[in-house]
Amino acid sequence: MKTISPYKEATDVILEAGGEPLKLCYQCGLCTAVCPWNVVRSFLVRRIMHEAQLGVTDFDSEDVWTCATCRACVQRCPRGVEIIDVVRAVRRVVASLGIGVVPDALRISAKNIAGVGNPFGEAPEKRNDWAKDLGVKEFVPGTEILYFPCCVPSYDPDVKTVARSVATIFNKLGVDYGLISTEARCCGESIRKAGHEDTFQNLAHNNINLFANNDVKTVVVSSPHCYHTFRNEYPELGGKFEVIHITQYLASLIDEGKLKFSKTMNKKVIYSDPCYLGRHNNVYDEPRKILQSIPGLELIEFPDARENALCCGGGGGRIWMDTPKGERFSDIRVEQAVEKGADIIALACPYCFLNYRDSVLSMGKAETMQVRDIAELVAEAV
Amino acid sequence: MEEVKIGVYVCWCGLNIAGTVDSEEVARYAGTLPHVAVARDYKYMCSDPGQDLIKNDIKRLGINRVVVASCSPRLHEPTFRKACRDAGLNPYLYEHANIREHCSWPHATDKNRATEKAKDLVRAAVRRVYYQEPLEIKEVPVNPNVLVVGGGIAGIQAALDIADGEKKVYMVERDASIGGHMIQLDRTFPTLDCSECILTPKMTDTGHHPNIELMTNSEVEEVSGYIGNFNVRIRKKPRYVDVDKCNSCGECAKVCPVEVPDEFEMGLSMRKAAYLPLPQAVPAAFAIDKRGTAPCRIACPAGVNAQGYIALISQGKFKEALELVRRAMPFAGVLGRVCTHPCELECERGKFDEPVSIRALKRFIADYELKTEREKVVPIETTKDSKVAVIGSGPAGLACAYDLIREGYAVTVFESLPRAGGLLRYGIPEYRLPKEVLDNDISYIQELGVEIKTKSPVEDLAEVFNQGYAAIFIASGAQGSQKMGIPGEETSGVIHALDFLRMVNAGVDIKLGNKVVVVGGGNAAIDAARASLRLGAREVTVVYRRSRDEMPAISSEVEEAEHEGIKIHFLATPTKILSRDGQLSAIECITMKLGEPDASGRRRPVAVKGTEFTMNVDNVIIAIGQTVDKTALPKELNYTSWGTLEVDPVTLQTHIAGVFAGGDVVSGPADVVVAVAAGKEAAISIDRYLRGVSLTEERQVTPKRVENVSKERAQLKARASTPLLKLDERKGSFAEVELSFDEKTAIEEAKRCLNCGVCSECLECVKVCEQGAINHEMQDEFVEVEVGSMILATGYQQFDPSVIPQYGYKKFDNVLTGLEFERITCAGGPTQGRIQLKDGREPESVAIVHCVGSRDQNYHEYCSRVCCMYGLKYAELIKEFTKAEVYEFYIDMRCFGEAFEEFYKRVSEMGVNFIRGKVANITDRVMGEEERGKLIVTAEDTLLGKMIRVPVDMVILCAALEARSDAADVASLFTIGQRGDGFFLETHPKLAPVNTPTDGVFIAGCCEAPRDVPDTVAQASAAASKALSLISRGKVTTEAAVSYVDESICHGCGRCEEICTFHAPSIIRTDGRLVSSINEALCKGCGACAVVCPTGAAQIKHFNMQEIEGLVDGLLEVHRG
Repeated sequence: MKTISPYKEATDVILEAGGEPLKLCYQCGLCTAVCPWNVVRSFLVRRIMHEAQLGVTDFDSEDVWTCATCRACVQRCPRGVEIIDVVRAVRRVVASLGIGVVPDALRISAKNIAGVGNPFGEAPEKRNDWAKDLGVKEFVPGTEILYFPCCVPSYDPDVKTVARSVATIFNKLGVDYGLISTEARCCGESIRKAGHEDTFQNLAHNNINLFANNDVKTVVVSSPHCYHTFRNEYPELGGKFEVIHITQYLASLIDEGKLKFSKTMNKKVIYSDPCYLGRHNNVYDEPRKILQSIPGLELIEFPDARENALCCGGGGGRIWMDTPKGERFSDIRVEQAVEKGADIIALACPYCFLNYRDSVLSMGKAETMQVRDIAELVAEAV
Repeated sequence: MEEVKIGVYVCWCGLNIAGTVDSEEVARYAGTLPHVAVARDYKYMCSDPGQDLIKNDIKRLGINRVVVASCSPRLHEPTFRKACRDAGLNPYLYEHANIREHCSWPHATDKNRATEKAKDLVRAAVRRVYYQEPLEIKEVPVNPNVLVVGGGIAGIQAALDIADGEKKVYMVERDASIGGHMIQLDRTFPTLDCSECILTPKMTDTGHHPNIELMTNSEVEEVSGYIGNFNVRIRKKPRYVDVDKCNSCGECAKVCPVEVPDEFEMGLSMRKAAYLPLPQAVPAAFAIDKRGTAPCRIACPAGVNAQGYIALISQGKFKEALELVRRAMPFAGVLGRVCTHPCELECERGKFDEPVSIRALKRFIADYELKTEREKVVPIETTKDSKVAVIGSGPAGLACAYDLIREGYAVTVFESLPRAGGLLRYGIPEYRLPKEVLDNDISYIQELGVEIKTKSPVEDLAEVFNQGYAAIFIASGAQGSQKMGIPGEETSGVIHALDFLRMVNAGVDIKLGNKVVVVGGGNAAIDAARASLRLGAREVTVVYRRSRDEMPAISSEVEEAEHEGIKIHFLATPTKILSRDGQLSAIECITMKLGEPDASGRRRPVAVKGTEFTMNVDNVIIAIGQTVDKTALPKELNYTSWGTLEVDPVTLQTHIAGVFAGGDVVSGPADVVVAVAAGKEAAISIDRYLRGVSLTEERQVTPKRVENVSKERAQLKARASTPLLKLDERKGSFAEVELSFDEKTAIEEAKRCLNCGVCSECLECVKVCEQGAINHEMQDEFVEVEVGSMILATGYQQFDPSVIPQYGYKKFDNVLTGLEFERITCAGGPTQGRIQLKDGREPESVAIVHCVGSRDQNYHEYCSRVCCMYGLKYAELIKEFTKAEVYEFYIDMRCFGEAFEEFYKRVSEMGVNFIRGKVANITDRVMGEEERGKLIVTAEDTLLGKMIRVPVDMVILCAALEARSDAADVASLFTIGQRGDGFFLETHPKLAPVNTPTDGVFIAGCCEAPRDVPDTVAQASAAASKALSLISRGKVTTEAAVSYVDESICHGCGRCEEICTFHAPSIIRTDGRLVSSINEALCKGCGACAVVCPTGAAQIKHFNMQEIEGLVDGLLEVHRG
């Protein structure tokens, strides 16, 4: 039998990389038991914590990259351990010290983000091309709202409709908004969770300076990942501006009576809470409120909703990595939506959009199950 | 003043201080300071040789001030003060410098600076001690009585220990019996002896002990005083049963109609409102559970006990129910039909689904009497000399007569019409109120002895007095009709509703044309319209000037009218009545719209110009209001500007002494029940008037409305509606439209009642109690006791696991808490000790989940200490009594007590499965046929490193023990502290575990922290010994460093009085001047008064300005630039 000894130096590098919370873990295993991976395969979160405590982490293991940072574990941890911080610390050790291997797919995306500011390797100057024919203003000091769609809705041909829907709604309602110049870069939330701290710092400082130079006060975002980092991480680096998720903004317009729906949508719609809007930031009601305001629309719920919602699998850099069929959380959700008799799966996150789109396509459900962002549904019904 | 000679003593504390601070150097430095006569250092100052150094210096060198620089004054200030005193020096001529916690420990890495800081502190102490003055230490005697709060095992043990020591104990327990949580437990780990068997003897001893005065249903309201001399005010809540008389026969519970969940059985079974709190209750007496007055009863103007009669109906006790209605008023049959039932609007059931059909239930019991024929009533004996005259035999007059005759007065009712009943008889049509019903209610009143003289109008009040009546109640109603004031109103064929209804009810043959228009929106309008239809009118239209929402008529009546084919024209009012050849031909109306709300709160109708229209009619019935007909009233009276009689609004007395008035004649037209209420008020006034007592004093008793009515157990059930006469049977007939419930429906409907007040005060228990032990009139009592010390043993509450939704508690039947399972295994419990599922089956598998709400920062971070062991106990019992597999889900097994580990081993040997992992979810999401009906428990088996799902039949959640939700209130009442987790804070966790910061207040048991029975008993005995030790000492010294007031500069502003939480200062008048005076016995020397005093008059001895300034100067002097 192989005998191991604790290796303090390894623990120390993890602690230095931000893994401090691991000290609190008392190994009850609740994290493992609530982790969505264990619905499809074995992933022992608790063991990762214990390995880090003793410095016996296997940095070469694919387990380093498995966590989708959905926060289901942190939410219920009896010791309040910020498990995601520990996972991130282990990844930082791999990415920055070169111990262990960064998976290929992630390495390419990371390189693209570091190089051209988006994971696709697309030209930075094309960032605002999605809005070309919509007559959207460029943001100038004094404009009320900066709309920041981030990378996926800016570049992905399928997801562009999300950003375009937002612009359409804003144009129709006469919202004073603009797009920031193409010097903008990815918000950096996911690449930070994937352990690439330097890249994140560069992206964040670039965006913070750009926003500050343009006197940006309020940013409306489409991605919960932008929402999270702008709201919770940028302020520490000096980025001080109000951040509103598009669902919050639209819900407030409904409250104020500015957004009214003229069309009826006789559909059964099931809403999937994005982890970074729900568990990470406690936004559960606004998306539902919008959907319930659309005439004719019947809102239904997944068996696990709100705090217990199942992750799509796209957080923590997983969106750039391949997940084998049979292990995709979004596949489970699509099945549940079919079982519930939904016509449309409504989303509020571009990563969810990509994963659910792939799921309905690969499962052959594209004919009967639509995958739509809430902004698209609003644009259609307004 | 003698020369100040200061001795300074610097301690090494071994290496604790000297390892960092150069104690020798500090002592040498101290020797250089002014007035210091001697300075020494020593390895352990607190040791006997160390203390001897001080004592010898005082004696030999004449040292008269002492400074010790050592560790914390919390620990050793008392030590060195005592050394001073032993050597004959006043202990307040002593100052302490803390050079351990303040120097050596925090500055361990910088020896030089630590030493310099120590010098600073010593210098400051030297400067301060120079100014100190001797203070007088007083002693006060200790009251030998002890208060024990809480009657669980901790309180019981403490009380018995003290009482056995021949000292008096007052035990205050909030519940109706002592016993606490322990008496709910089935067996106690690890010996498995039966909790009842070991606790019951102690409970009985407590109840019977000559030195224990037990107060159950009681709470401490107020505490004042100080150690040795506390005054405690206790509220004894009514039990409604005299514990000395009750022989626990249980007859009261048998007849009690109200069932509520039994708290003792954790809600697993039901008990009655009259109940024995637990089988071994001490005191061994029943109690009656009243939570307040039901909202229906409060809403009833006549004060009818609706909850009571509904409860009796639910038990099939229809006669008794009617008897209860008649305790309040005589009109069960009448009001069961025509009441506007304000009770139903307030009914709590309405917040859940629909209100109970209260009115229809009352009608049911009245009808039941008619159907079964009531026995003749025994007349009431006249016991009072005075006679009372009532003018008018409507609801107000008869209600008043009814109440007065039952008080023993002779009452005569004068009625001008040929029959009694007033508007009940002549205003309401028979299809709504059949005459036999009215006759039954009135004859009941007559049979009691009320004399009704019909055809006897009263014109002169003086004459009534002359006939020997001592008081008069005028209730002649509002029988005049309001006029519309429009052209054509006098045309033949136009009739006023009251006249019309009077003729209809008197059986006068009335010829109506085909088309009838009724003007108005009240009950009279609807009555007139429906009566017209019955008299043969083909087309009846009601014209009302506002909309449906504002219509004052009973909405169900309006609906029925419409069913019968009556049209209602809303938002219109007549402007002109047209005639052709002197004969009524048409009515012209104008359309209205609703404007701003008027005085009645309803929106005022406004005419819309140019919207006049006409309707052809044969008859117009005007029902727009009734007025008081002054011509029919005695002349001597005064009227208001509204034309109603003027009376005192509270007493209903007119300007003539002994003459009262009420009902419509005072209020204008109103509901029958309001008139009944007025009659009852008048009866109270007349009785007071005739007895010669104040009409107003203590008259308004507002009942306490019950709060937070539980709807947890209610199940959706629609309200029963009364059957109605078929439409085609109504034409041309005055047969009653609304019909009665059958018995089954009535009982079912009555069972929908939520029993808001719990006890319904139906008083059935009083009837059956042979001991005469029950008294529903009992009130709160206040008791003041004097004690020298107090022991708080208020216990814990069980964490409510329903806040962890993933565990499915309250969602799944077979997910239980520990205390619920205790009741299930208990032989005296709801299942007679049989371990079974909700459906009665024996479980095949059980999961026991540890740490539910404990060791979890989302709920309680602490370990509840007892769960591992009681979890093992459950496993043992399940294994012993069933064939079930048992799975213990634990994180760490904590089996640290005597014989605990051995018990763990024994349970392991029985084949219990132990799974190390915190349970994530308990769901009913089964996979496959064999899991059907099971609960699925999931966790990571952390020892296997695998996810595990266990299908089981039953889950027991080992719920945390938590501080009681009102612990903060209790803590503030007794001026003690709480930890962050809510439990009471002890003075020192190791060395003073039962003391609190308030001297003389001790704590024991789970109010201090979760603990098991043995530890609780030990702690309770410890608290008792603390109290006994205090009593044995017999006296206590009071704090000498208390506040004082320099009266010469005090302005008597009172700020000190305001700020002080101990009520020590009070403003008094001395030599014509207001000044503050300090009660030294209450003062804790906190200094709050000195801080707020604007003149510096209030100061604290031992901390006066000079001393504090000396200290600060000493600290700063070498550092000043």
